[in-house]
Amino acid sequence: MKTRITLLVAALVASSGCHALDLGGLVDKKMIDQVARDKLGVKTDTTNSSDVLIPLTGNPPDADEEKLGREIAGRLLGAAPLVNDAKLQAYVNKVGRYVAAQSSRADLNWTFGVIETDTVNAFAAPGGYVFVTRGLYALLKNEAELAGVLAHEIGHVNARHHVKLMQKQRAVSAGKDLLLKKAGGGETVQALVGNGAEIYARTLDKASEYDADRLGVYYATRAGYDTYGLAAVLDRLDAEGETDKLTLLYKTHPLPADRLTAIDKALGDRYDAVKPGLTLPARLAKLPPAPKPVATPAAATATGSTATTTTTPAK
Amino acid sequence: MTPVTRLAAAIGLGALLASGQLLAAGLGNGTLTRAESLREKPFADAKVLAPAAAGAKVEVLVREGGWYQVKAGTKTGWVRMLSVRRSAAATTTAAGIAGVASGRTGTGKVVSTTGVRGLDSAELATATFSEEQIAKAEKNRVSRKDAEAFAKAGKLTVRDVKALPAP
Repeated sequence: MKTRITLLVAALVASSGCHALDLGGLVDKKMIDQVARDKLGVKTDTTNSSDVLIPLTGNPPDADEEKLGREIAGRLLGAAPLVNDAKLQAYVNKVGRYVAAQSSRADLNWTFGVIETDTVNAFAAPGGYVFVTRGLYALLKNEAELAGVLAHEIGHVNARHHVKLMQKQRAVSAGKDLLLKKAGGGETVQALVGNGAEIYARTLDKASEYDADRLGVYYATRAGYDTYGLAAVLDRLDAEGETDKLTLLYKTHPLPADRLTAIDKALGDRYDAVKPGLTLPARLAKLPPAPKPVATPAAATATGSTATTTTTPAK
Repeated sequence: MTPVTRLAAAIGLGALLASGQLLAAGLGNGTLTRAESLREKPFADAKVLAPAAAGAKVEVLVREGGWYQVKAGTKTGWVRMLSVRRSAAATTTAAGIAGVASGRTGTGKVVSTTGVRGLDSAELATATFSEEQIAKAEKNRVSRKDAEAFAKAGKLTVRDVKALPAP
């Protein structure tokens, strides 16, 4: 009884899943959407996602959500593989898993990781996949800040922001194209591509980021960390300001300053009575040196799934 | 020490030494988002030393929890961290300069010098699902039990706080 929404879901996932809910809005959404659309034309006959049924309304079962998330996360890792450092990855998983254990979906199969890119960002995918970039990790000063960033992403997962986004997009595309219904729900990638731009214009959703910030502050505080870990990271981004690549991002996403203001509003003096949390600077795992330049980065990326460049077993 | 703190330290050290407060490198300049009270200590009920107007320029010295120690004019005191925005200072402070100098923002230069690519349009355009990588990531999962033991080793304790309401 698996329906043929696989392609659609995979496509939506590829184009909206990861980046739309990034930590600082540090990737230009429009740019990536265009890329995703370009990609869709190529993807039609090569998809490797497993069939997943996502209801138009309501929450899918966790197992289906995880399958979706796995597809998204696998693609992200195809573009930016895990940093080759078993100690670092284990550390991030411990911090993340502990924070997740204090959250509303404590028993998902949470997976955390640091990925190899200088871009400053963090990603969440449905079902409990959370990744921070090397660029963002390099900015962190203590474990509480890491916990705050991960908690924000955990917030996205728990609030099912991606799932809701996909449901919204499916609803729009289904309503727009009657042919799809005639075909018995066999939505085509082409149909989706046709609707891509307007859907994205509609789903540029800053509210999800603010939601995730509030949840992140809450989870990290609950876990015993400094309440202000996430705020400290945002404050640092705010102080560093717009630079080259961040210019567009700042246009399409909430500014760090605005997110701080929103956190301020939501937090007020609510946690003042709570015993101060820990920052644990000494425990923050060190990043390994950046890998040596590769001879042909473009080619290496293109073959990410066959892992010609990144097949380094955990130590 | 990160490049930011290193540079901030180099620039801010003199001022801090002069003021006799070698607590940490200064964090640069900021602006108050609201009228604040400079307090003697980083607590809401600490003694008020002086008022500070909304929009006042401050020099941020150090953070402690949700508080920044700032210098406003000739006065030094603690204000709530979230009452300070450092954005306006970005292009002129040590932090701003360091951010650019460290090249962390994924410019072409970084790509060619470090070998770590930015996650840009070209990368995502050619990204394909990596079973090898996702399987590796999943292998790194830790159990809730192990994670809680790790937290305990760090003396972290769960605190019973309420979720923050949407404004």
